[in-house]
Amino acid sequence: MSLNQKETSKKQEVKRRSASQWAVAWRRFKRNKVGVFGLIIVIAVFLVGVFGDFFTSYPARPNPDAYLPFYKGDVRKPPSWLENWPKQILNWTYPFGTSAIGTDVYSDMIHGTKYTLYVGVVVTLITMALAIIIGSISGFYGGWVDNILMRITEIFLVFPSLLFILVFVRIFTLTVGDPFWTIPIINLQIPAGLTIVTVVLAIFNWASNARMVRGEFLRVRELEFIEAEKALGASNTRIIFRHVLPNILSSIIVVSSLTIAYAILIEAAVSFLGFGDVNTTTWGQLLQENFADVRVVWWAEFFPGLAILFTVFGFNLLGDGLSDAFNPRLRD
Amino acid sequence: MFRYVVRRLLYMIPVAVGISIISFITMYAAGDPINIIRLGRATVDKATLDAIRAYYGLDKPIPIQYLNWLSNILQLNFGKSLYGGISVNLVIGNWLWETVKLQLAAIFLALAISIPIGIYSARKQYSKLDVTVTSVSLFGVSMPTFWLGVILIIIFSYNLGLLPSEGAYGGTKIWWGHPFLDAVAHLIMPTAVLVYVSLAQNIRLIRANMLEVLRSDYILAARASGLKERTIIYKYALRNAISPVVTYLGIALGAIIAGAPMTEYVFNWPGLGRRFVEATTRLDFPVVMGITMIITVMTLIANLVVDIIYVYIDPRIRIR
Repeated sequence: MSLNQKETSKKQEVKRRSASQWAVAWRRFKRNKVGVFGLIIVIAVFLVGVFGDFFTSYPARPNPDAYLPFYKGDVRKPPSWLENWPKQILNWTYPFGTSAIGTDVYSDMIHGTKYTLYVGVVVTLITMALAIIIGSISGFYGGWVDNILMRITEIFLVFPSLLFILVFVRIFTLTVGDPFWTIPIINLQIPAGLTIVTVVLAIFNWASNARMVRGEFLRVRELEFIEAEKALGASNTRIIFRHVLPNILSSIIVVSSLTIAYAILIEAAVSFLGFGDVNTTTWGQLLQENFADVRVVWWAEFFPGLAILFTVFGFNLLGDGLSDAFNPRLRD
Repeated sequence: MFRYVVRRLLYMIPVAVGISIISFITMYAAGDPINIIRLGRATVDKATLDAIRAYYGLDKPIPIQYLNWLSNILQLNFGKSLYGGISVNLVIGNWLWETVKLQLAAIFLALAISIPIGIYSARKQYSKLDVTVTSVSLFGVSMPTFWLGVILIIIFSYNLGLLPSEGAYGGTKIWWGHPFLDAVAHLIMPTAVLVYVSLAQNIRLIRANMLEVLRSDYILAARASGLKERTIIYKYALRNAISPVVTYLGIALGAIIAGAPMTEYVFNWPGLGRRFVEATTRLDFPVVMGITMIITVMTLIANLVVDIIYVYIDPRIRIR
């Protein structure tokens, strides 16, 4: 390499230093087609969750107008474009057919999107909060604190958690009075039963994530810059919040994406088994309502399930893509 | 080896007791079961309620109730159902065997399929089959178990009429009504669902481990000394690649066992999982407690078996 070339490359390097770790990861992520595909699915699902209500033919469930197809006599109608195939292919009155109780499956699914996302996001927020608190205390302090916390974590890991989730959800939903709770100041309505399901799911889900956070803490704690920071006399809180947590943030983001996927799946299972919130049309709830009549209304089972599959698939792809972007070494 | 097994067995006891205490407290401390069941029902006079409480032993303090329950369960007596006072042993009865049958079939099939595919996929990395396997398995992780079951029922039972849609035996005379063939026909779809779900995880794990092992120096040395590829893979590489898989297997077994309610509910399988869903819906606590304990013990035993296999595969563990 000539001297000239060396200088130019040096200059470029100096210019490039402004690119942060996040920008580098984003550049790497953009090149991963599968990950971008996952991101597109996730963004699309969020858009449907937020704006979808404007694009439905029938209102959400508690409103009696949701049952209009029933009064028109359109119970258990197959998807209208499929009926008399292929003559009515452009007839989109009931894109996904009508359910066993006479509602439009398409409208129900769109209204259910926001509940599904609500479960996924809130479960992940609570799970990660618990996991970070317990994992960082355990990983940073070590010793007997670590020992006790990890034994508790292990018990939660061995637990047949689905069984406990079902029992807890069943007991606590008995105590629910109003179908919706209102958060006072911002005047936001949240579904009561679904929130109980969400909290129970989070309580039984933090253990494996806490183990992950602890492992990352153990790894970062031994690095030299932490030692330097200690030598400078920094407090424990400063080291945890300013130095360790930012360094493990990438792993936390990856795991969060996978946790959202997992939470959506488990909520669907709980609702499908008949323990969900009957006042909300989550996708699992739709599957539960139509299961008894599946011999006739296969479309009312097929499309909501497909929606779950694609949403979860999207979050999983996104998680894998992010993981590759943040730690390219781990890629096999 | 014997001492190791005994030590592991002793370690299981506090875990099982801990889980039993926690589940007992959550169920009985949530409120008097009789009161919960009474919610929203017609009023019953107090004398009847007291008589019912005395009958089930619910009038004693909770620690005493727990000790009674524990001593009963050690004699394999799971108590009485809150609905009609039938013995829980009768309610569970031979349904336990049906669950075990389904689980065993699923576990063995899952292993028999995932190990060869994982190895092949790792050896031919980025080949067409490898790419297919990895993407299909990610799809498998994203699929709701019960939904897959429902779709299989729609296709194979309702449309093609090849397989029975529910139960473990009997029903419509498909497959010539021969008792053994009939049982096999009923097993196919639930097993397929259970296998498919655990397959995805297993293959991804075996593939990742195999890739790592195949890159290590001792495999290179084995290749250099001119050993047959088959010997290298199955005798040298597999043994090292499989030990992390075995660790994971413990968790996977737990997942399969605990995932039973969903599969059994979809296929109306006469097993513990379905009984559990029914009992929980009716808040029949003695039945719920009994099944929880059976499933916990099953999970622990599965973990023990896994650990023993682990020692067999990787003798270094025994020294510790």
